[in-house]
Amino acid sequence: MFQKWWLNNKLKRLISNNKLNKSTHLQRHYQYLFTQLNKPVSDINFLALDIEMTGLDHKKDEMVSIGIIPIIKGQIQPGYAQYKLLKIQGSVGQSATIHGVHDRDLTTALDTSEVIEWLLQQCQDKVLVAHHALLDIQFIEHALLKLGIPVHQLFAVDTLQLEKQRIYRKKQFIKNGELRLNACRERYYLPIYSAHNALTDALACAELLLAQLNKMGGLEHIKLQDILRKY
Amino acid sequence: MDNSELQPIFDFMRKLAPFDTLQEQTIKQCCSTLTIVYYSKAQKLVHVDTNQPQLYIVRTGAFEVSTQQGELIDRIGEGQFFGFSGMLSGEKVVNQVHILEDGLVYHLPASMFDQLRGSCYQFDRFFNRAFAKRLRNQSSLDRNAIDTARITNIMSKELTTIAPDATIHDAAMLMSNKRVSSLIVVDQKQLCGILTDRDLRSRVLAKGLGGNLSVASAMTQDPTTIESNSLIFEAMLKMSENNIHHLPVMSHNKPIAIITSTDLIRSQSSQPLLLIGQIQRQPNLESLIQVSQKIPDLLYNLISSDAKASEIGRILTSVTDALTRRLIALKQKQLGPEPMRFCWLSFGSQARQDQMAGSDQDNALILEKETTEQEAKYFKQLSEYVCCALNECGFPFCPGNIMAQNPVWQLTLQQWLQQFSKWIKSPDPTALLHASIFFDMRPIYGEISLFDQLQTSVLKDTKNNDIFIAALSQNALQSTPPLGFFRSFVIERDGREVKGIDLKHKGNALINDIIRIYALSVGIDEVNTSKRIERLVTQSAIDKDIAMNLLDAWEFIAHKRLTNQGRQFNQAQTVSNYILPDSLSSLARHQLKDAFKVIYEAQSTIKLKFLRQF
Repeated sequence: MFQKWWLNNKLKRLISNNKLNKSTHLQRHYQYLFTQLNKPVSDINFLALDIEMTGLDHKKDEMVSIGIIPIIKGQIQPGYAQYKLLKIQGSVGQSATIHGVHDRDLTTALDTSEVIEWLLQQCQDKVLVAHHALLDIQFIEHALLKLGIPVHQLFAVDTLQLEKQRIYRKKQFIKNGELRLNACRERYYLPIYSAHNALTDALACAELLLAQLNKMGGLEHIKLQDILRKY
Repeated sequence: MDNSELQPIFDFMRKLAPFDTLQEQTIKQCCSTLTIVYYSKAQKLVHVDTNQPQLYIVRTGAFEVSTQQGELIDRIGEGQFFGFSGMLSGEKVVNQVHILEDGLVYHLPASMFDQLRGSCYQFDRFFNRAFAKRLRNQSSLDRNAIDTARITNIMSKELTTIAPDATIHDAAMLMSNKRVSSLIVVDQKQLCGILTDRDLRSRVLAKGLGGNLSVASAMTQDPTTIESNSLIFEAMLKMSENNIHHLPVMSHNKPIAIITSTDLIRSQSSQPLLLIGQIQRQPNLESLIQVSQKIPDLLYNLISSDAKASEIGRILTSVTDALTRRLIALKQKQLGPEPMRFCWLSFGSQARQDQMAGSDQDNALILEKETTEQEAKYFKQLSEYVCCALNECGFPFCPGNIMAQNPVWQLTLQQWLQQFSKWIKSPDPTALLHASIFFDMRPIYGEISLFDQLQTSVLKDTKNNDIFIAALSQNALQSTPPLGFFRSFVIERDGREVKGIDLKHKGNALINDIIRIYALSVGIDEVNTSKRIERLVTQSAIDKDIAMNLLDAWEFIAHKRLTNQGRQFNQAQTVSNYILPDSLSSLARHQLKDAFKVIYEAQSTIKLKFLRQF
């Protein structure tokens, strides 16, 4: 109840915040969240997201690629999956060994501002989902700040947090590595994909979300406000 | 490849028949029309919208398609399909799809499915075949009733009995009134004889005797009988071996029906019986070797007809028994009659009647008394001939040399009694090792009474013998089912080499061990594992749930082992007891895991019950 009231209030204030009027997409996104808070997640549109970066520090590292895949009324839509490469200042350097994006691939890359605009447009009628959402949100907020949109309030569903709660409810502690995307997926007998391609990870995260929601009692019985978090 | 395509989905579809026959570009197009849904067991049923048909491609999980009446049509696991029947036939399909295991399912819209069928012949043919197969399954629910049906299905429902002090006249009247060819003679509800048409002919009319004779004087006393849970095939075997046409059917030592050769003929002739008939007719070893080359084919046919594993075991063992008897008879024709009474014993799998492909021979002799040099020579020649011949017929020599041709196992009854009592009194490791073989024994040929004396005495010694039973339990617990295997399987499924599971030694043998302990501890004289379980349950010597679970687990593991061997045989590979995990569907993997869990729990019960350990 408190969670609902709190989210409700936050969103109301954000919608009336003039500074954010610069981005109509963002406005619409908040409107969407505000109207859907009380709806069962089976009716919600989600956008599973994964970002590959040159490192983990949003202040000095840069985004390299973003993969998104929508979930419409409980069905993942691979046909609408999208993938963008971003121009970066430096070099992907050593991080190429992780995400497989090399400097030579970045010739088709877009400016960060373009990609952020595209991303906001994509999620104007959807709820963001990510595994360990905090990291992705930090990078997005940092990019928005550079565009002159000082947002410190983004909302997302985090499959890592959902998993953490589930494990805590069952036992006391969490072992090292137990919350990694593939480790989580194994517990639901989901197939193991090779990790660290933004699009594959977005798909992996989307599938994990559906599995988790089913284990939590089914998509019809969970409301958005039960799982949405503010970052 | 385009960056916006999803590699894992493409990789899966590209390897999946019949999509693997499509052009790469078509597969990509296909992938982009898919939607992915997660189904959870808690939902129980997949909601199939008949107005919006689509192909369901199972990525993970397990499903079961059944008719509205609940009859099973198909089980579906990873990489298999459902939902195509409606799209192929154009009719609304009312089948139900149950969710057995949570999983991801790809939905392919009907428009794409139709486009693929139109553009690719192989693709179209694949689904038409699958559709035809499913229809077949739907209409042949009683396909198991071929070789393996039980006599209860064909025996007369009505039992016509007469008392032993009735007259022959009464008996003849009764038979013609009831239109039966035989009567069961019952005294105080106990079977005491059988009176048949032939008896009336040969023992009364041919001798010029009158109708006032008592039934007791014309009947066959203590006739050969058969248990009510036997197979039709076993009834046939019993009749042909004893040259009789009527068998009283017994249940709990009471006659409940009679089965006649006419009943059997009506139920059709069967292949195993033909093989046994051939074995009984062969004049020499060469021709027997040739006939026994058909045994693998018989096994393969039984497997493909989907007979129960326990029944396949019984049928194969009957063939081995017949072969052994025929070989003994052949050699005796040459050597002359035996110089003293003896009994040819079988141990291990042949005794338990669960022989499968590649079983080796375990046998021995019980002799009536000490042999002279001349007599010893007779049994040496006989046993060496039979053991070597069995080896040549496909039943390899026992690596542990537990064979009748080994003088160590040609013992007099007295020596056998001493040997067993030594094992039971001081259960050292060798004794316990022997226990799993020797304590499952069955007479094959010769003087049954020698065997009966031995078995009675052994069971008397083991019954309630806490120390021996505890040692046996301790030994049985040395080996545990491969539960942890599945955990490693999860880790190893990304393609590294995985070892197989030994379904025999880590599965069926463990259940045999458990049940043997129970059976010996209460002195049950059955040796077949399922018969032992049955007796244990009727005597309340085992928890009924554990017993039934073990029976199911035994059957499931044995069935997996057989189908695996069938596949190996079919692909001309070496037939073994190992199964590779990647050859199992996700459903089978879960079932196998459950079966192993049952064994594990039963072992814990034994620990508690016989070792008083927690």
